Amino acid sequence: MSAGRRAYARGVRPSRPAEPILHLDMDAFYASVEVRSDPTLAGRPVLVGGTGGRGVVASASYEARTHGVRSAMPMAEALRRCPDAVVLAPDFARYREASDALMAILRSVTPLVEPLSLDEAFCDVGGAVRLLGDPPAIAEGLRTRIREELCLPASVGIAPNKLLAKLCSEKAKPDGLLPLPAAEVRAFLTPLDVRDLWGVGAQTAQRLARFGLTTVGDLAAADPATLVRIVGEAAGSQLALLARGEDPRPVVPHEPPKGMSAEETFDHDVDDPEVLRRELLRLAERVARRLRAGGVAGRTVVLKLRYASFETITRSRTLAVATDQATELHREVVGLLDELRLERVRVRLVGVGAHNLVPAGGTRQLDLLGSDRWDRLERTADRARERFGDAALTRGSLLDGDDPSEWPASEGPS
Amino acid sequence: MKFRAERGEFADAASWSLRTVGARATLPALSGVHLEVAEDRLTLASTDLEVSSELSIPVQAERDGKALVPGRLLGDVVRSLPPAAVHAEIIDDRLHLECGRAKFDLRTMPTEDYPPLPEPDPEAGAAVMKAPTFSSLVAQVARAASGDDARPVLTGVHLEASPAGLIAAATDSYRLAVRSLSWEEEIEGTVLLPRRALDEARRVADSLGGEVRLVLEDHQVTLFVGDRRLTTRLIEGRFPDFRQLVPTGWDRRLNVERVALAEVVRRVAVVGEANTASTPVTLELTEDAVRVTAGSGEVGEADETLPGVLEGEPLQISFNPRYLSDGLDAVASDEVHLEFRDELKPAVVRPAPVEGEEDLDGDFLYLLMPVRV
Repeated sequence: MSAGRRAYARGVRPSRPAEPILHLDMDAFYASVEVRSDPTLAGRPVLVGGTGGRGVVASASYEARTHGVRSAMPMAEALRRCPDAVVLAPDFARYREASDALMAILRSVTPLVEPLSLDEAFCDVGGAVRLLGDPPAIAEGLRTRIREELCLPASVGIAPNKLLAKLCSEKAKPDGLLPLPAAEVRAFLTPLDVRDLWGVGAQTAQRLARFGLTTVGDLAAADPATLVRIVGEAAGSQLALLARGEDPRPVVPHEPPKGMSAEETFDHDVDDPEVLRRELLRLAERVARRLRAGGVAGRTVVLKLRYASFETITRSRTLAVATDQATELHREVVGLLDELRLERVRVRLVGVGAHNLVPAGGTRQLDLLGSDRWDRLERTADRARERFGDAALTRGSLLDGDDPSEWPASEGPS
Repeated sequence: MKFRAERGEFADAASWSLRTVGARATLPALSGVHLEVAEDRLTLASTDLEVSSELSIPVQAERDGKALVPGRLLGDVVRSLPPAAVHAEIIDDRLHLECGRAKFDLRTMPTEDYPPLPEPDPEAGAAVMKAPTFSSLVAQVARAASGDDARPVLTGVHLEASPAGLIAAATDSYRLAVRSLSWEEEIEGTVLLPRRALDEARRVADSLGGEVRLVLEDHQVTLFVGDRRLTTRLIEGRFPDFRQLVPTGWDRRLNVERVALAEVVRRVAVVGEANTASTPVTLELTEDAVRVTAGSGEVGEADETLPGVLEGEPLQISFNPRYLSDGLDAVASDEVHLEFRDELKPAVVRPAPVEGEEDLDGDFLYLLMPVRV
């Protein structure tokens, strides 16, 4: 983490970090979900899988793994190694639900989320660093939210590409975080077993071993032509690429994001409407910038409130024309807030969301009354923040807040 | 209170009254219809605090008096009455209704709880219009008002009345409709009123015909149609300076058959999700034809060409199909003029003048902003 952080500490933030890819993998996902719903299982070896004669282990808690139990092991053998284990039949509806909540958390950070399975996804956070901090900070934030909101452990690898990010998350387990700065890729890869590489199975590994190639470092040092001779044309050049830690595959989001939102829990419950409005403006700004960064606009604006009583309500309104502007989002959520006619009701959390996303793709309904001026202004502000950092520009109405971190930096860009 | 009324008249009156009954639970009295009998007339009144309504019908009164009856219930009862005269009487806190062999006994609410309804000052300035004139004016202009309560000013219709005439305007910031008509009336004032009040008045004007009388006051507007009255509160705030939004000339002008273009736009727009700007319709204007296209590679495409006469250079311009059809529908003439500057500036739809025929549209213009693609 330290080396990764250092790169961002210097002066102006880079527009895109060298390590923008996260691979997030839940730890013993099915077993963890079961433990969450039955806390008496905590600390005990838990096996989820087929309970019949030929059943296999689908997921094993870490307590079970210390006995040598692994996923895909026959249940009978698992029970021989760990006779005290609690065996549960899988409940996929429940895992799907937890997975949906997990993916929603990931998508609140970036629209570029590529789920690999129920409990595993790649995220490209390159576009989110200006808003949310460097990738290790984003990853730690995600882990915290997943732990607090879903009560589930997750491990994250952070790296320049998908191949490396996945290798890192494997090393980070359980419940860990491993950033791999671009400069350390070679040192990280060299000692790894060839079988750690994507696409290298037992057979390929055996063939490589016959030529004395057992580590990734061996592969990297080998002549690519030799690799092609050993494993064939396509696999050989692929292997040479992977051995050097190169992986050009982009993160491809599987489903379009349904919405984007931002919310804030107050340190103290708030009943001052002015404070609520100001916080809504701050959140609207955050959502609007994320929409613009993702090239989308939302037609439905959502206000979320959690009262001091923990009662949570949402109100929404669908616009004639989709928007990616903070000014408009703010006007709508304030309208929704006013309609609630709150009188000295204490509020614990506020949130702003934009749903019903459509590609902003350049088409834009023009406005007679000059709302376009706001549009141009907000886009100009985006560019200024890109160059000079988040604090370079903010709204006057946000300045009298009591959070000095929101104030413009006194020193200029270095 | 005791009276006898014609069933049809009573039912019409009650259901009209229901249209302005309040829905808010905080003031239960507002959910009622106020009935009052005096001098052989029954007056029904209701309000939702924004718009209030009043009308009276002739009855045979045996005993004057008043009552406040739950609106929804009264409406349901009168709709189901058999065809016979209605006999009504208040006994203690209940309204007894008899119609043919049917008998109803409805619980009433205390009349003291009912707020006094606003009434126009008889001295206030007033103007009279023919019902169809008023209806067409409302139909043309109100459609451009916004349905978005976040900007209340844009949900209203702006009226400017002077002794010489009336100007009505509405805009949701994407399009603007302006209609003017001339008259000679003792009236002066500028108001912004809820679209709903005008729509209600238009509904009555359409069904009753006759004349519409408009009374302007500083804080309210009243519309009389026949024996019915609607009084509405005004929307606070400044309506945009719409005159400054209207272009003073044009670089290109298209003369096209109105219904034909409206049909083509509607047909072509089917490939896009209606009424979103993300799938606009595009007009390609050449000397003697208009090509209308819509769609994308993802969903599908549509393409249709119709004749039209263009003055000026060819132009390609895109619109939200709903905003364009609204404009075309607002005009009654056979042909329309569409005036353009360029593909990013507002376009204007006007009825094409026809010599020797009655002008159905008055002085109307509909301005709409294009979609940038």
